[in-house]
Amino acid sequence: MLKTQDLSYWYQNANQPLFKNVNLEFEEGESYAILGHSGTGKTTFLSLIAGLDTPKDGAILLQDQSLKKIGLTNYRRKHVAIVFQAYNLFTYMSPLNNLLTAMAITESKHAGDREYATQVLRDLGIGEDLITRNVQHLSGGQQQRVAIARTMVCDARLVVADEPTGNLDEDNTQAVITQFQSIAHDQKKCVVIVTHELDVAAMCDHQYRLENRQFTKLA
Amino acid sequence: MNFCKRAWLNVWAKKGRSILLILVSAAILMFVLAGLLIRSAAVKATNQAKAEVGATVTLSANRQAAFKQMRKSSQSKSSKRSKLTLNPVKLSDATKIAKLKHVGSYNVTSTTSANAKSYDTVSTSTGMGGGGTSGGPGKMGGKTTTSTGDTQIDGVTATSLTSDFSDKQSKIVKGRGITSSDRNTNHVVIEKELASQNDLSVGDTMTIKKTTGNKGTVKVKVVGIYKASSSSASTAGPMSTDPSNTVYASYTLANSLKGSKYANTADSVTFNVTAPSQVSQVKKAGNKVISSSKYALSTDDSSYQTVKASMSSFEGFANKIVWLVAIAGTIILALIVILMIRERRFEIGVLLSLGEARWKIVAQFFTEMIMVLVVALAIAGVGGKFVGNQLGSQLMSQAATTTQTTSSMAGQGQGGGQAAMTTQRARQRLSWPLRSVRSIWPNSVGLVLPLPSCRLCWLQEASCAWNRVKS
Repeated sequence: MLKTQDLSYWYQNANQPLFKNVNLEFEEGESYAILGHSGTGKTTFLSLIAGLDTPKDGAILLQDQSLKKIGLTNYRRKHVAIVFQAYNLFTYMSPLNNLLTAMAITESKHAGDREYATQVLRDLGIGEDLITRNVQHLSGGQQQRVAIARTMVCDARLVVADEPTGNLDEDNTQAVITQFQSIAHDQKKCVVIVTHELDVAAMCDHQYRLENRQFTKLA
Repeated sequence: MNFCKRAWLNVWAKKGRSILLILVSAAILMFVLAGLLIRSAAVKATNQAKAEVGATVTLSANRQAAFKQMRKSSQSKSSKRSKLTLNPVKLSDATKIAKLKHVGSYNVTSTTSANAKSYDTVSTSTGMGGGGTSGGPGKMGGKTTTSTGDTQIDGVTATSLTSDFSDKQSKIVKGRGITSSDRNTNHVVIEKELASQNDLSVGDTMTIKKTTGNKGTVKVKVVGIYKASSSSASTAGPMSTDPSNTVYASYTLANSLKGSKYANTADSVTFNVTAPSQVSQVKKAGNKVISSSKYALSTDDSSYQTVKASMSSFEGFANKIVWLVAIAGTIILALIVILMIRERRFEIGVLLSLGEARWKIVAQFFTEMIMVLVVALAIAGVGGKFVGNQLGSQLMSQAATTTQTTSSMAGQGQGGGQAAMTTQRARQRLSWPLRSVRSIWPNSVGLVLPLPSCRLCWLQEASCAWNRVKS
């Protein structure tokens, strides 16, 4: 589904790239974990495949079509959904409005369907009493579940998550990863999770470690 | 149109910030509206004042041409000294000018003197060892220029049209003034001192003696008594009679006292120009219908020019307020918006990550601003209406006072002793809109204006019209 071809990225000096000539392939219905120490370039790699930044060298192909050709805005709107460590919800909205807004922006086939959005939230444990409450009044775990619900209501086939469990306790971590597995296996989407937690990575189908500017697949 | 919904949700969710923004915007808009209101009031007041203050064109004998003629005559008859001959104005010529465009009413003036017969004139002691009446004013017209009398007869169309009465220098205390209906009658209006000295009242008759021709007597009827505020002889020249000896009559009576050849003539005719800005055009058109070798048309639009200068200064002042507030308001609002956007970079990032178009993000912020501004404008409109009503009524009451003063300017001559009054009037005219504004916006105007040097209008000395008038 998504391929990287000789992907390289650096910030200031081309002689000191974060990673160089990366060739990876991500498939639908699978979950991937990218491990690595802080500052190795995990989030940067995620930004590239999420269409938030452009590679310095090489290319990213979605179903053999370059992201440049698809257009980054169009790519972000139609093909990718992002979950951030800090949830990144609209703080002036309720969980329901967050979902409805995302559905409207991404032109989801369920756009405007309040029942569908409510059902998704309910499935993720956000009850009736919470769905109209301002998201700032929810706990971290609840907010992250709303962020995951936002990716589920969009039609994007690729879901990328940057440290989605970084701010969560053990129980919530377990619940969130279960949700991601469900998205990958039940909804047949491709899930790429950047994390530095081995336990989280172990729950994914594939694990890659970014080390010494190269990605290594773990057994 | 999802951005509109987002804008609404944001404005609604952040009520405190929105209310603060609405209040700031409303305050700025109210300042701008007030500035516009002041400017609009100034423009209206300027137009009104310009219309009311008027300008005059005076038709009189051409003295320059008469002097030229006299010099020519004296050169040809070297042994004999020639006399200055001034042609009295023919009323037929005055009627032609009265028919011109922009000419309103006109006042015919014919002045002569007569001697008291059945009464005693008021004598004035100067304290210089002499007393009694002095010679009357020399008058226009051939041989009669040397004739003098102890009573000055001011022939007019109507006393109300004379500068003394319109300026409140003189006022009727009993009976009535001379009007156009008194034409061809022997009705007179006498001064209070003269009346009390001779025990005369309204309805009484008095006899005067002509100073020319057969020097016969004429019986005149007192129809009114006036009081002159400047009754001291010191205000008149050394050769003048006491001002109390001035009798107002119809110009026809003055002409008949002068002699039969003065019928249908006048010393001068003053025309009120309805559109002061057109005074030069009226003069130009008037010169075409009269003989310039005999007559001259002089204009007096100094009051109009004074008001124009004063009001231009006021308009400039109002314009400065509008611009100052608009610029300051824009800067303040721009800074607030910049801070708001900086605060919302995170949200912008989320929207971009969802694939939202940049223009829709900008549109969302604009929509939020419009929502706030619409409410602010409504508040400012209501506040502005209140201020407008207050300002309007204040201006109207001040305008009424000004109207009384400005109307007195019509037909004003070029006589001495008017400078102080002109300054007083100019001051009143200049200050009323400013006083009105200051009484309503005492603090708010002070907030945006630097401390002025002029106590009257707060402008700097150099730009203050009142200071220019004073100087």
